[in-house]
Amino acid sequence: MKYSIKYFILLMLALVFTLPIAILFLLSFSQKWVFPKLLPEKLTLENWTVILGDGHVISNSFVISLSIALFVAGSATILGFVLSRYIAYHPKRRLLTFLTYFPFALSPVIFAICLKYYFIKLGLIGNLYGIVLAQLIIALPYSIIFFLSFWNQKVLDYQNLVYTLGGKQKQAFLYITLPLAKSFLVICFFQCFLISWFEYGLTSIIGYGKISTLTIHVFQFINEANIFYAALSCCLLILPPVILLWFNKRFIIQQKG
Amino acid sequence: MFKPLNKTLNFSILMLFTLLPLLAGLGYAIAYSFGLVGVLNKGFTLENWKILFSTSEVYISVLYTSWLAFASLSICIFISLAVVLAFPKKFKSGIFSYLVYMPLAFPSIVAAFFFFQFLSNAGILARLCHQLGIINQISDFPNLVNDSYHIGIISTQTFLSLPFFILLYASLYQAEKLEDYQKLAYALGASKKQTIFKISIPILLKRSLPSIIIYFIFKLGSYEVPLLLGKSSPETISVLAVRKLQKFNLLDIPQGYAIAVIYAFLVLLLLFIAFKKSKHQYEV
Repeated sequence: MKYSIKYFILLMLALVFTLPIAILFLLSFSQKWVFPKLLPEKLTLENWTVILGDGHVISNSFVISLSIALFVAGSATILGFVLSRYIAYHPKRRLLTFLTYFPFALSPVIFAICLKYYFIKLGLIGNLYGIVLAQLIIALPYSIIFFLSFWNQKVLDYQNLVYTLGGKQKQAFLYITLPLAKSFLVICFFQCFLISWFEYGLTSIIGYGKISTLTIHVFQFINEANIFYAALSCCLLILPPVILLWFNKRFIIQQKG
Repeated sequence: MFKPLNKTLNFSILMLFTLLPLLAGLGYAIAYSFGLVGVLNKGFTLENWKILFSTSEVYISVLYTSWLAFASLSICIFISLAVVLAFPKKFKSGIFSYLVYMPLAFPSIVAAFFFFQFLSNAGILARLCHQLGIINQISDFPNLVNDSYHIGIISTQTFLSLPFFILLYASLYQAEKLEDYQKLAYALGASKKQTIFKISIPILLKRSLPSIIIYFIFKLGSYEVPLLLGKSSPETISVLAVRKLQKFNLLDIPQGYAIAVIYAFLVLLLLFIAFKKSKHQYEV
């Protein structure tokens, strides 16, 4: 009896974790789903072939979202790695960490409305540069905070050992720091990629409706009550994180929910 | 020569990308709310703040947002603790160590869309109830999205936070050597109930308190989920601020910025508490 309750709880948990993905994929292959039918009446590949066809807005926005996310992730990872070292060994480490945490903890959409004036003045509203810069402003603090745990005493001791043995700063970086940081860099890159990939509120305000990322399209389809295209766009959004999960679980754990 | 230059450069980039946007953004919001900048503003005034506090809208919004964050986090922490204490090693290896990560692949907007399809009157749950003969028509099914009890929002927020807390408690369970404490308690004659409620849960809650506060802050700023699954009134802080700032009534804009300022100070205060509670350097 005790074991059957435990198995039931595990079964429910497995359902909670897997059912949403299964249902979204099912809806993305559907065309007709009238109440009270439990399953869609028509399953077809048509939605996918139409939407992923050449020149369709969704395939274009997939490419736009991917390009923005890759650029933001690359820039945030490199800058975060460098800046986190500065903070980690700074006498005022705790204060600087606190100040870095503040922009990361703020709601991106509220941050965006506060920054909108400056983006208008700089001509960065409604274009890709503006969105990249705005997303970088929220991804970079995350990257800095992430790398703070890397810069510990052990890394510093290794670097000092290289200098003691006559090595130069460049050698210490290339042969000691970089190999030690390799897994941190990869994980941080993918997490920053997901911050950018998942972003909606900030992108909608800075993009001003002119730049259509995938999340913007999901919202448009939901507003139009086009649930099958919305489900398909959702599937495209969750596909990269699921693939990352397949390679390494640690790629997709982020605090911000 | 090289090191000071590096330090100056690092400090400048740090300021440029993190502190400058923060100070500039908040400074502009404060200035706008006090009438110092903006199209219709004519100089320093407290009028916008007086108008904002003359109605209950902003108080209700802050309380409502805090309630949603508190409710979803409480449910999430309760489930996570129960699951981790019942299956402490289940999430370290095997199929569940992968499945638990699945909700983390969901952006908020996708989770909100799924829960709308699942809980709405014509959703999957309603169809299932119809097949089982529990309801006869759509109107028989209770409103679970855009509803008065905010079930849709709380369910979605719980779903999104659950993996993080399960993984957090599973790792704390190992790191804090809870198994050893439990064995010691049993050896000293404690019952299973005493071991759970007097040892395991207090240790896990105490160690996770800074993370709980940080997660509470994140939930306060939630935008997409209440936008899609909430009612038009009350609104969460983010939704209210964006509505005031994005709609066509220019007279509402200073109040929108005032709401943003209130929210920012609330976040600052909670973050300060989280840092005070954390004895170690705070890291992700």
